[in-house]
Amino acid sequence: MSAAVQADPADVAGSAHPLAQRRPLGDRVFGWLALAAGLLVLVILVLIAVTTSQQSTSWFSHEGLSGIFSTDWDPATDHFGAMAFVFGTAVTALVAIILAVPVSVALALLLTEVVPPRWARPIVYVVDLLAVVPSVVWGLWGILVFAPWVQHIYSSIASGLTGIPVLSFLFGGTNTSGAAFFTAGLILAFMITPIVTSLSREVIATVPSIDKEGAYALGATRWEMIRGAVWPHSQSGVVGSVLLGLGRAMGETIAAALVIGSSPAITSHLFSPGYSMPAVIANQFGESSGTFRAALVGMGVLLFAITIIVNLVARGFVERSARRAKGA
Amino acid sequence: MQLRRRPQVMTVGGAIVAMALSLAACSSSSSSSPGTGSSGSSAPSSGSSSSSAALSGTLNGSGSSFQNTYQLAAIQGFKSVQSGITVNYNSVGSGTGRSNLAAGTVNFAGSDSPIPAKEASEFAGKTVLYFPVVIGPITLSYNLSGVSNLKLDPTVIAKIFQGEITKWNDPAIAADNPGVSLPGTAITTAVRSDSSGTTQNFSLFLQTAVPSVWKLGSSSTIKWPSSARAGAQNTGVASIIKSTSGAIGYVDYSTAKASGLSYASVKNSAGNFVAPSPTSASASAAGVNVKPDLTFAAAWGSGAQAYPITYQSWVLVYATQPNASDAAMLQAYLTYLLGDGQQLLSNLGYAPLPSNIDTMAKAQISKITG
Amino acid sequence: MAIAAEQPGVDLREPAGWRRTKNKIATVLMWVAFAAVLVPLGFVLYTVISKGAPIISGQFLTGSIPPNIMPANFGGMAPAIIGTLEITALAAVMAIPLGVLGAVYINEYGGNRVLARVIGFMADVMTGVPSIVMGLFIFTIWVLHFGYSGLAGAFALACLMLPLVIRSSYEMLRLVPDSLREASYALGATKARVTLTVVLPAAIAGIISGALLAVARASGETAPLLFTIFTVEATNSNVFSGATTALPNQIFANASQPYVGAQARGWGAALTLIAIAFIFMIAARVSTARFTRYSR
Repeated sequence: MSAAVQADPADVAGSAHPLAQRRPLGDRVFGWLALAAGLLVLVILVLIAVTTSQQSTSWFSHEGLSGIFSTDWDPATDHFGAMAFVFGTAVTALVAIILAVPVSVALALLLTEVVPPRWARPIVYVVDLLAVVPSVVWGLWGILVFAPWVQHIYSSIASGLTGIPVLSFLFGGTNTSGAAFFTAGLILAFMITPIVTSLSREVIATVPSIDKEGAYALGATRWEMIRGAVWPHSQSGVVGSVLLGLGRAMGETIAAALVIGSSPAITSHLFSPGYSMPAVIANQFGESSGTFRAALVGMGVLLFAITIIVNLVARGFVERSARRAKGA
Repeated sequence: MQLRRRPQVMTVGGAIVAMALSLAACSSSSSSSPGTGSSGSSAPSSGSSSSSAALSGTLNGSGSSFQNTYQLAAIQGFKSVQSGITVNYNSVGSGTGRSNLAAGTVNFAGSDSPIPAKEASEFAGKTVLYFPVVIGPITLSYNLSGVSNLKLDPTVIAKIFQGEITKWNDPAIAADNPGVSLPGTAITTAVRSDSSGTTQNFSLFLQTAVPSVWKLGSSSTIKWPSSARAGAQNTGVASIIKSTSGAIGYVDYSTAKASGLSYASVKNSAGNFVAPSPTSASASAAGVNVKPDLTFAAAWGSGAQAYPITYQSWVLVYATQPNASDAAMLQAYLTYLLGDGQQLLSNLGYAPLPSNIDTMAKAQISKITG
Repeated sequence: MAIAAEQPGVDLREPAGWRRTKNKIATVLMWVAFAAVLVPLGFVLYTVISKGAPIISGQFLTGSIPPNIMPANFGGMAPAIIGTLEITALAAVMAIPLGVLGAVYINEYGGNRVLARVIGFMADVMTGVPSIVMGLFIFTIWVLHFGYSGLAGAFALACLMLPLVIRSSYEMLRLVPDSLREASYALGATKARVTLTVVLPAAIAGIISGALLAVARASGETAPLLFTIFTVEATNSNVFSGATTALPNQIFANASQPYVGAQARGWGAALTLIAIAFIFMIAARVSTARFTRYSR
């Protein structure tokens, strides 16, 4: 992470060295400007935490901390329990991760191990195209095209699975419009695939080729090499990129807001409509005021805290993997 | 190395700056040219507003989504009367419109109901003037393939929205529709997620018509059964109905018609099943009792051909405006809304105001001072 | 195929059948993953192009936003297009210099200091903050005091872009060999001069590329703008005050409309937005390709 130690004229200045001279003002000012720009990051993060928490105090004083766990959400009667939204956020993010991780890791392996470098670039472009599609366009396509199409599939699956214990628990339930936890999770999976793929690729690329070639030299097939040489090295890094994808899926607002069904519900049926924290904030903020608004901002604070924690843990994993690879 | 690089950096940077500047110049010149979208219906010949001087400025309003179609058409038509005034209307629901007015972020609010008691404290110390501007039906729109002329009576409607009737082939619905084969599809009720005057008036109708059956009260937000799907503004409810087979919901007539939805005929106090239309809405509003502050309720009116779920919408403004310019602009816009604008209404799916109410409203315009 | 198994020890020919099959299955699965990515991408792009292209016309790109109820060939999305370009440009002007300066601090001035490593780490963490939180933040800190404006939207987008620009610029600065720096110091240049005249120009291609990618990402963001610009329909020539609109907001609003005309305009706006983001992405690639001198 740090640049190599360089001869810094600043160190020489002020010493008794015959060639030393004071650093000119312009140079020092530039240094301060750079420092200020860097500190801006920390300042913004702290400000976000402080100001949004301030705005949400009336929600916390109204509901107490149990507001986060209460399932009673009824703005008309001043009840603002956030559990249904936390549940929805968790469920859609989990669905997204379960669907996206196998595909992304497989893609990363494809790009680093299978495909000759000449072909890797175009494939990377195609994967990055997924990232270029803005979230709101995913949502527009999702609600106007995908949801009606997928609604028929849901009905067939649900009716086909009636009676089967575990599967109908997850995939039962009626859905009349296609907007559901699963639809939102699926679209989120599409959206986080590019990120998880590119991060996994970076991690896998740091595996020392000595180990890979050693495996081949022992007669391993490519798959055995991946399992034996690549995977142990890149494990924690890939876990880190998965967590980053999870964080992104939890915070993704607009696509979820349009296709999740806008119906606060805690249910095991993945095919029924639900709601998530960012979705309710986006949909209801304009018409909220007072404690209602504070509740929405409070959920934003919750979202901020959760994603910061997930990101901290994720970056920790990625850094650990990078350090290990360098030392290996 | 440096000699080659720097010009390229400056080219790119200069291009970005030039693009931003030219866009700013572009946009400031295009905003002064009149909008190109026409309103569809012919602009009425303006004969009334001869004495008003040319004003300029911006008026911001927000609120009722029921009024939205009229507001948007009126904004376009008003441009030919006062081209210097830009009016913006944001359809966010009556409740949010009222709170925006209380917060002072808009010049006028659109509301389908008078300020309820629990919001009165936000307006303490200020006089709010009510200007009724439109009357219109609330439809029971539905999405049921193969069924085109659904008939419903208030008891059945109340039970559907309370979650007591859950399938389309329920005997109660069949009783209203003899000879029609109703499928066994589950009923999905579509309701409003935002604080809405449409909800207020729909529930008021149910409370007035069948008070023994309807238990959820009358308010701009109702605690619907958890099986109800909620959408924002009338258009959100219409979207749900349109995309969900077996759905039924309450949507204002102009939105329902423009969305291509089918709607039911409702039994009125005289016992007749009447379909919603501007005519049947006017029949319900005729002879309604108007209070001195111009508030009234048009629902469940008497009359053989009256459509029972008819409601009204007001523009709310403060009597005392912060400056003379705002007062003059509001007076000009309200004069249009109550005058030439009324001729746009029937094409849009509303009923014009009864003439006695219109006269009383026009007389109130001069009370706006600034 | 392996020779008879009487030969003990390592088989120097093809691996035994089962191992080869496993390898083949793994390879096939990896290609299936690629196909799994192509399907939704193709589906979305096909839909947006086929539904949006018929709407795009001169009138669409220059006409004002009509009431939602209007049929598809009325009006256009000009106020939203202008809004998006203006707000994104303003955000870029704020975020890119600050981001590059921040990366300069971490790489050139920070060295091994704890502060520099913390800033770098937190910048990475900040890339994961949901965009809706940025919107809420600017709403709390600016809109509540100064009202809605394109400037507020630009602040929110700048907060989103800042960590992205820092990260990509940092990676590029790191690639500049130290020999360049040391040669400049040996000639007596001050640190600022070294950075400005030697290091930055050497890394400029990658920095521009990273900045353009951040701009592409920001142009498509909706959530930060939802709470900051109030989404009206008229063009607001003053980006510094008064509510305005932008393409993502209009698409979001039109997506839940039941009117066919509004939905059609939404598709047209979606195609326009994808085109804008795509142009930035291509520009970023071109910049990398043309100017890259130091590759990994």
